[in-house]
Amino acid sequence: MKRRDFLQRSNALLLATSPLLALADDDRSERRRRRRTETTPQPVPQPIPPGAARHRVIVVGGGMAGATVAKYLRLWGDTVEVFLIEPAASYTSNIMSSLVLTGQRSMSSLSFSYENLFNAYGVQVLTDTVTAIDPITCTVRLASGEQLSGDRIVLAPGIDFDPVPGLGNSDRMPHAWKAGPQTALLAQQLAAMPDNGVAVLTIPRTPYRCPPGPYERACLLADWMKKRKPRAKLVVLDANMDIVTEKDNFTKAFLGLHGNVIEYHNNAEVLSVDPATMSLTSRAGTIRNADVVNLIPRQRAGALVALSGLANATEGRFAAVDNLSYASTVAPLVHVIGDASATNQPKAGHIANQEAKVCADAIIRAFAGLAPDPAPVTNSACYSTITMREASWLTAVFQYDAVTRSMVPATASSAASSGWNGDNFEQMGTWFKALMGDSFS
Amino acid sequence: MKRLRVPLRHALLSLGLIGLCATTAAQTPPPGRLLASNCFQCHGTNGKGPGFDKIAGESPDEIYKKLREFQSGKEGNGIMARHAMGYSDSQMRALSAWLSTQR
Repeated sequence: MKRRDFLQRSNALLLATSPLLALADDDRSERRRRRRTETTPQPVPQPIPPGAARHRVIVVGGGMAGATVAKYLRLWGDTVEVFLIEPAASYTSNIMSSLVLTGQRSMSSLSFSYENLFNAYGVQVLTDTVTAIDPITCTVRLASGEQLSGDRIVLAPGIDFDPVPGLGNSDRMPHAWKAGPQTALLAQQLAAMPDNGVAVLTIPRTPYRCPPGPYERACLLADWMKKRKPRAKLVVLDANMDIVTEKDNFTKAFLGLHGNVIEYHNNAEVLSVDPATMSLTSRAGTIRNADVVNLIPRQRAGALVALSGLANATEGRFAAVDNLSYASTVAPLVHVIGDASATNQPKAGHIANQEAKVCADAIIRAFAGLAPDPAPVTNSACYSTITMREASWLTAVFQYDAVTRSMVPATASSAASSGWNGDNFEQMGTWFKALMGDSFS
Repeated sequence: MKRLRVPLRHALLSLGLIGLCATTAAQTPPPGRLLASNCFQCHGTNGKGPGFDKIAGESPDEIYKKLREFQSGKEGNGIMARHAMGYSDSQMRALSAWLSTQR
């Protein structure tokens, strides 16, 4: 393709689809002024000058992984043109979203704009849906009818849910596991629950998004119930044989601190539900007439991964990738990062951000004819709410192991806090702000 | 055509930087940068915040010494201490060297 055609085509695409350009100029400059005074990292690379692009990467999905890889490809790759394609106009954070259920956070506090990726880094953000990819020619087809080709595709579509037998299209048993309307809905249902109501929270079989997430949500809701629904009960149906992470803290919290509210069942995978009677049948028995059901189904990579033939791991649920570059093991020009890939690393936002950096670095090296860094390191850190004011923490560093070609947790670094406290809860706020800043601005 | 104004203006504004970009367009990533980027989730992009302590721009020895203190347990058994235990000595040297270049 000639350079001129290339540029003309991208301009045409921008004109057709980018919402960022449609804002009034006054509004934009005002926002930009405000942002400059508020955020610390100075924009490093400028939007790519005409004619300077030597390579193009198409990023599909604007979550933690997708936003970070788009930003770092521009930050670290002067001559890399980056398109980020995402159907939503802004990102809603899953991290911290359980605090919406207890009224401690607003939905708007979880919303992150893509504007800074454009303004500060020159990422071309298209609000559109990718309907298909060609992994050989690196072409993506968009719902708007456009096609876009590049040198690499990075897929970061997150997760999709398995259908639950009996659920249909009912909204009476929300997952609230992709933050958004379902989060607000579950918050309403909890608020409307009678004082002596029964709520049910179900935990899917691993691997699922955010391993400690359902347990911390259970703890948080239990604490909220003590204050707001004093005679209510929370039944936790865990599909797994045991608490899957941070076992000491969650065991203590479930049996001790929240023992009068939480009723925990392991090996209790949900087999079917009936929203009309608010009933669930699980391996551990049947529950009828629940007041609220937070049904978190089993998970797989976003549909595009399987549609593209890349879901070749974890019983066809996730994408096997080269852990040095996140290139698919069956399509070397297509990288899969974040929750959609199958690695030893947890599916969670903090480590998805680091996978994205490893991927960006490997792509930039590949464009220069270089092999990926042979010893990448990634890290995971998070805080779990044990009460409405106290949290625990969990961390691990992952080192590449050349023998197994996989990321292996460094034993000494894999740890959780001994108990929970208010300082950790405060630090959780700092961590969230830093992580979102590193991913979106 | 109206919508073209913003990207064009961006493009024109950045024209002055083309020379700079071309000369700094070394596409071989500097040593230590990818390792150091593990710090950014909590300490901000390039270690410059927002977040926990800013870590950019100190001398390599200062940053390394601090990491060693965390790793040895002298700073307690908190999240940063356990985190530091995941890195080898040469990795801590490499990321400290890169962070010291960020001012």
